[in-house]
Amino acid sequence: MTSRTEFISGRTGRGAAYVSDPSGAGHDRFMRLSARALLPLGLLAAWFIVGLSGKSFEAARSEIGRPFPALALIAFIAVAAPHARMGVESIIEDYVHDAAQKEKALLVNKWASIAVALLWTLAILLIAAPR
Amino acid sequence: MAQADTDGVTDKRPLSPHLTIYKPMLTMMMSIAHRISGVALYLGAFLLALYLLGLAFGPGAFGAVSWIANGFIGHVIVLGFSWALFHHLLGGVRHALWDRGLYMDPKGRELLAQATLGGGIVLTLLTWILSTLAN
Repeated sequence: MTSRTEFISGRTGRGAAYVSDPSGAGHDRFMRLSARALLPLGLLAAWFIVGLSGKSFEAARSEIGRPFPALALIAFIAVAAPHARMGVESIIEDYVHDAAQKEKALLVNKWASIAVALLWTLAILLIAAPR
Repeated sequence: MAQADTDGVTDKRPLSPHLTIYKPMLTMMMSIAHRISGVALYLGAFLLALYLLGLAFGPGAFGAVSWIANGFIGHVIVLGFSWALFHHLLGGVRHALWDRGLYMDPKGRELLAQATLGGGIVLTLLTWILSTLAN
């Protein structure tokens, strides 16, 4: 939801004031649509993650090796990671005011969300993919 | 800041909604908790991805990461993750209801905040009880 459009007015000059960039509507729609998908996916993920707690190596592997838990957990992170990225973007925009630091924080957040989704999915594929 | 306040009138004026001077209330606390639980889930997902990678790479790697889900610390982490997940999930349901204009009156929003707070705890306990029974 970063405002990029520079507003030029007689009083303020270029870049001194900002106008809305219409990306806010897309952000809002994405958060609500992904939240709808995360209602069932989050419940499933919670169930399977709680089930992992306390399990031995063999038991945990056979649980994640089953197709349904594997697919549910992959679907969960595929939606949850961009949802988390967008949510943290809002927090960064609310609290990080220094322009350079904000850019950095947004970039770290972007790649962190991509990394967590890729690592999570890769791990489950290594366990559950038929070979 | 407020040295000039002598007539008592200013005491009755509404204050600007700023965290440090705003009277804490449940809906505001739940809003903050929604953000905190969201960030906690983000960080927790990294830990769980690490756990899953260890699980994928074999018993040796699993031994290095099993603390994330096993033992006392592991149970605290997974319990916290599941509670944050249920709390954040019900927070989303609360916002979906508010988006539709429901439960926006003073009693309704208070009730909804209490219901999502209590509901998150109940769902967490229920999941752990059922999960223990199922395993």
